[in-house]
Amino acid sequence: MGDGITAVRQAYLHDRRVGRFVKFAALLSLFAFGFWSIDVLQIPIDRVLGMFGRVGNMVWQRLLPPDLVYATSASVIYAVLETIEMSLLGSFIGTLITLPLAWFAAWNLTPDRVFLYPMARLIIVVSRSLPSLMAAMLLVAVFGFGPFAGMLALVVGTIGFAGKLMAEQAETINMGPVDAVRATGAGKLKVFIYGIFPQLKPSWYGIVIYNWDARLRSSTILGFVGAGGIGLHLRERISVLEYHGAMGIIVIIIVLVVASEAMSHFLRKRYY
Amino acid sequence: MPLLEIRALKKSYATGEVALKGVDLSVSAQEIVAILGLSGSGKSTLLRCVNRLVEPDSGSVTLDGLEITALNKRQLRRARQSMGMIFQEFNLVDRLTVLENVLSGTLGSVSLWRAFSRAFPRENLDRALGLCERVGILDHIKKRADQLSGGQRQRVGIARALMQNPKILLVDEPTSSLDPKIGAEVMELMLEVAHETHVAMLFSVHDVRLATEYSNRIVGLQGGSKIFDERTETVKPEAIDLIYGMNKRAARG
Amino acid sequence: MSRVIVAAEGNPLRDRGTLLKRYAFYAVVLCAVTAMGVHLIVFGTDWGRMGTFADVFGIIMNLAPSLAFMPKIIGPLLQTLLMAFWGTLLAVLLSIPVFYLAASNITPYMMLTYPLGRGLIVVSRSTHEIIFALIYVAALGLGPLPGILALASRSVGFMAKTTAEAIENIDRGPIEAIEATGAGPIKRFLFGVVPQVLPVFIGNAIFQLDINIRRAAILGMVGAGGIGLYFAEQMKIYEYGNASACVLGVVLLVIIGEFVSNRVRTKLISG
Ligand SMILES: Nc1ncnc2c1ncn2[C@@H]1O[C@H](COP(=O)(O)OP(=O)(O)O)[C@@H](O)[C@H]1O
Ligand SMILES: [Mg+2]
Repeated sequence: MGDGITAVRQAYLHDRRVGRFVKFAALLSLFAFGFWSIDVLQIPIDRVLGMFGRVGNMVWQRLLPPDLVYATSASVIYAVLETIEMSLLGSFIGTLITLPLAWFAAWNLTPDRVFLYPMARLIIVVSRSLPSLMAAMLLVAVFGFGPFAGMLALVVGTIGFAGKLMAEQAETINMGPVDAVRATGAGKLKVFIYGIFPQLKPSWYGIVIYNWDARLRSSTILGFVGAGGIGLHLRERISVLEYHGAMGIIVIIIVLVVASEAMSHFLRKRYY
Repeated sequence: MPLLEIRALKKSYATGEVALKGVDLSVSAQEIVAILGLSGSGKSTLLRCVNRLVEPDSGSVTLDGLEITALNKRQLRRARQSMGMIFQEFNLVDRLTVLENVLSGTLGSVSLWRAFSRAFPRENLDRALGLCERVGILDHIKKRADQLSGGQRQRVGIARALMQNPKILLVDEPTSSLDPKIGAEVMELMLEVAHETHVAMLFSVHDVRLATEYSNRIVGLQGGSKIFDERTETVKPEAIDLIYGMNKRAARG
Repeated sequence: MSRVIVAAEGNPLRDRGTLLKRYAFYAVVLCAVTAMGVHLIVFGTDWGRMGTFADVFGIIMNLAPSLAFMPKIIGPLLQTLLMAFWGTLLAVLLSIPVFYLAASNITPYMMLTYPLGRGLIVVSRSTHEIIFALIYVAALGLGPLPGILALASRSVGFMAKTTAEAIENIDRGPIEAIEATGAGPIKRFLFGVVPQVLPVFIGNAIFQLDINIRRAAILGMVGAGGIGLYFAEQMKIYEYGNASACVLGVVLLVIIGEFVSNRVRTKLISG
């Protein structure tokens, strides 16, 4: 065995020992972190052990089978329609607000980098980080129970979701045509409409559709805080311990979400 | 008795493609045999049928008297350990290091726990390092496999195959992804180590020069059938024309 | 380029049929929006509860976050973060058997286990975390435990789906080479599949951790632990300032989480 090999071998074995030690230490820390978490979260260990049985029992005995008669009753169907309506209107109004915001929030296009850009960014980031259900509860406090508050929560959700994606897309566009329109002496809005928007149309359409899909998902639970839609029925079924009915609603929600995902997928395929 | 004995081997793919129409072939201990044929003639299929990466339809493959086609999965895994394979596209695991790639040649024999924790036994490690030195990649063992050049990658492939302590090397167009100079180097190296370790070698090529230069015997394959099988010194140009000439005519017609 | 000029000048030759169709489409959208607006806003609002304009304005004024409450939410925010972490880790572990079933090239019984894996993914991905939380709270009682389970149930589908897709697009060559050494299916998976898929897997796990912070923040609203509980409580006693302090805390936590996660992921991809 040559000297070269001996040196390489020593180095390798050393690295391997260090690697093992690091792995071991990481594993140990993870365990310690786990025990600390159990303490902080006050998780009852006895309940962890019995949880499979209880969750299994919950699912197989109390939730299944779903009460599909209830789930297709007139009031549920009405709530489903209301949910869809909320998601459509919320997405529509939200998109109208997002269009200028995304324009302002794209560094390469923004008409004003000092004031408009940071404001638009801030609005988008905050809307993105604000959970819809919290927004909905606040809006219910202001505007009362009903789908109006839910719809507004979806507007906020749209600004956060579509705003970020649209601005990101806008930052990737080709500036040549934009400058060409600018060279004709067109104003900022005209530059946007004729130079910028045509380039962004396909990707922004895709985002709008994708956003609607995401809003529909969140609109299914806004009813929990009284902000309209199917979620109210779910909460009400659970509060009267009617779990089969609740499961019926869950099935309806899954069908709704899967259908909207398929539809959004189909529409985006057509536009891209 | 030859080391490897292939008899009446047939294979058609699910697509209906008939790749092998009953091939007979034998390789003696320490013999270097080239399979020469155009692309699509069935070379890869033949090699893969030997270790049953491709399952043959009928015929027999025996290695050292052991009937490979009759083995169950576990026995097959054992038998595969004595057949090292080297691939045209190298088939290294890109995200593992060079040394881990070489060590993976012993996967058939190490325990599951060692494989999981990548803690290969010391003697395997020493052997791997020795092979890395032999094929000239000792300086690169810490690098990820995808950071090497093509020639270096194939050297890793050679070391990995030798790691198995094979009785025979099954080599599928080892130089087709390399430029000619590097390819020749790799070919030389492969031949040298085969001699040093007393391993037989069955390799496929579509390049006549490589076949005549590096083999003891040449087997000509065409359309899934063997059309000649002769010692390299005695192979006549007509035999080779049979493979390439017919193609020219077909291309014209 | 040409498209831009056409748009800029307007195209007098555009045929009338398309224009007509286009206006018809706008008209339909306008009618639909108006109808939905009237339905949702005029009839869907609890005008009585809303009260006068002054009332609304008063409530909005009350929404300014009360800074005095901020120190009290640090504990719940930490809980939220811990729930997100353990929920994600659990999802990562649970996703292993699911992607095994749901990747068409490694699933053991195509007719049986593949649809099973795909079905689990669909259910996980299309059920909102709040719904999972409700089920677990009903089965296990209040607290962070059902919250963690809800997050895991919600994330497992995404993890399994992306990983199964990565496995389906894997390079077969290295796996064959490993197989040729005489390695069995588990070793093949460890050496051939894992190294190819692991970077994607880790990147997605970090992405889920980021998203799960957001999700964990609301689970308390149905009793499943974390900051959401405090938020809902403060809302119920009309302490809007305290409630919006909670929201502010969540927003900050989420922003930080997203920043860190992006940093780590870009590093992972480049390094
Ligand atoms: N996996 C496969 N499925 C279907 N047909 C195949 C497959 N592999 C090879 N073939 C066919 O089998 C024949 C022989 O192929 P191959 O053994 O790869 O030849 P060579 O290696 O000499 O180029 C070809 O006609 C090829 O199209
Ligand atoms: Mg081939």
